[in-house]
Amino acid sequence: MITLQKYYRQSATYRIFKGILEEFTVFLETLGQITEKLGLTAKFILKGEIEKKELIEQCNRFGISSLPITLSITAMTSIIIASQVAAEMVKQGGSNFVGLLLTILFVREAGAVMSAFAIISMIGSSMASEIATMRVTEQIDAIQVLKVHPVRYLFVPRVLAGIIMMPFIVILASVIGVIAGAVTSDLSAGLSYRAYFDSAWLGVYIKDLFVSLFKAACFGGTIALISCTCGYHASGGAKGVGLATTKAVVWSFVAIVIIDMIFAIAFFY
Amino acid sequence: MSIEVKSLIKIYDDRKVIDNVSFKVNDGETLAIVGFSGSGKSTILKLICGLTPRDGGEIITGDGDIAMVFQYSALFDSLNVADNITFALQERRELRKKYTQKDLAQIVTQKLELVGLQGIENKFPSELSGGMQKRVSFARAIVTEPNTILYDEPTAGLDPISSTLIEDYIVRLKEETNAASIVVTHQMSTIKRTADRVIMLYDGKIVYEGTPDDMLKMNTEYTKQFVTASLDGPMKMIA
Repeated sequence: MITLQKYYRQSATYRIFKGILEEFTVFLETLGQITEKLGLTAKFILKGEIEKKELIEQCNRFGISSLPITLSITAMTSIIIASQVAAEMVKQGGSNFVGLLLTILFVREAGAVMSAFAIISMIGSSMASEIATMRVTEQIDAIQVLKVHPVRYLFVPRVLAGIIMMPFIVILASVIGVIAGAVTSDLSAGLSYRAYFDSAWLGVYIKDLFVSLFKAACFGGTIALISCTCGYHASGGAKGVGLATTKAVVWSFVAIVIIDMIFAIAFFY
Repeated sequence: MSIEVKSLIKIYDDRKVIDNVSFKVNDGETLAIVGFSGSGKSTILKLICGLTPRDGGEIITGDGDIAMVFQYSALFDSLNVADNITFALQERRELRKKYTQKDLAQIVTQKLELVGLQGIENKFPSELSGGMQKRVSFARAIVTEPNTILYDEPTAGLDPISSTLIEDYIVRLKEETNAASIVVTHQMSTIKRTADRVIMLYDGKIVYEGTPDDMLKMNTEYTKQFVTASLDGPMKMIA
């Protein structure tokens, strides 16, 4: 005879709520892991316990190797937007605002966000899978047995590289975005470079540049921190590496959008 | 300098995987821990070197380091052999100032000679065979001159000749370092060639303790089943 408890556990409602509860538990657990690693990483950075050789290597990886893809994506985004907007604005008599619009867009938003998305796909995923592989092949255990703190060795150089390199990437991406916008506006709407750049600087202030660079540093540190944390807590062989990488990418995307929203509200609302 | 484990307990998912295990290993002595897969052998090593927190009991060690040779070597694949061996000396803040680059190069050469390898300092782990990786991991383990060396299935996945070579190095390292050694293994040859004493685990408990020779006499149901590799006996595969 089926008991009431057994019947209840087989019900769709129970299973849905159980699934939601499990997902929520995993969410809180991951949030806790990220917070814990943030604290430890900050502690090591403040104590000056930084591996310079590893930091240089990670800066090279974060900044230089990702640059072609990041700049290509930003340039193409600018071309897509300018090709649709420039002609229409010129037709409506708004040719004086094309440069302004694209410059504000790229300096405040698109330069940082598109760069962050490119970095998540290229660098974040590779960091997560590298550290997850180290976890499942016991290399992180070996680091611990050799009495080296894994957070100091693995997290600190990567997070610092993200914080240092991301503003440079964003500066380049924004410049490329603005230039690609000018070229596209000229080709698609016949807007002269002079008209474009005359309006380009009208709506951009020093504050915008600082906020953009600060936001970029936050993005870089966040991507590295989340990617390292997801990799660090991987388990279960090849499948675990795959799951950790996916989790790192998803969490990084969501975190970037949330941070971007916070910056938008805090500085431009 | 020796290592003593008292009433060790580890619980996973409400099940005691290590249940009140006690033993002591003296300097220059090798203890083999044997038993079925899943009987808790590797967990004991992880508890000793602090990779897993214990739920009860005590582990008493000397002041020196505890080194571990992992089942699949666990060499850092982004570092070459020389950097793998000197990793602790380069990354531990209390050690890094003691050694110049010249000292480190000498240490690498010396440790590689000890495990019978020369001229591979600049190779990466992926360029080495399984047996060579294992020997490099031996060299990495002893670089801080530990007083306890833990071996997690050191001959797993190796051919019989490479296994014999590894067993010889376990004996040699014990003689060179006078460290207390614990070898987790399934291999009878490893037990016979390296161990001074053996403990057998089943369901997290010690079910036999003695010398390798006594174990081979099969005086208990447990040793008889293990040595003859029989399915019949008191030990059943743990689900």
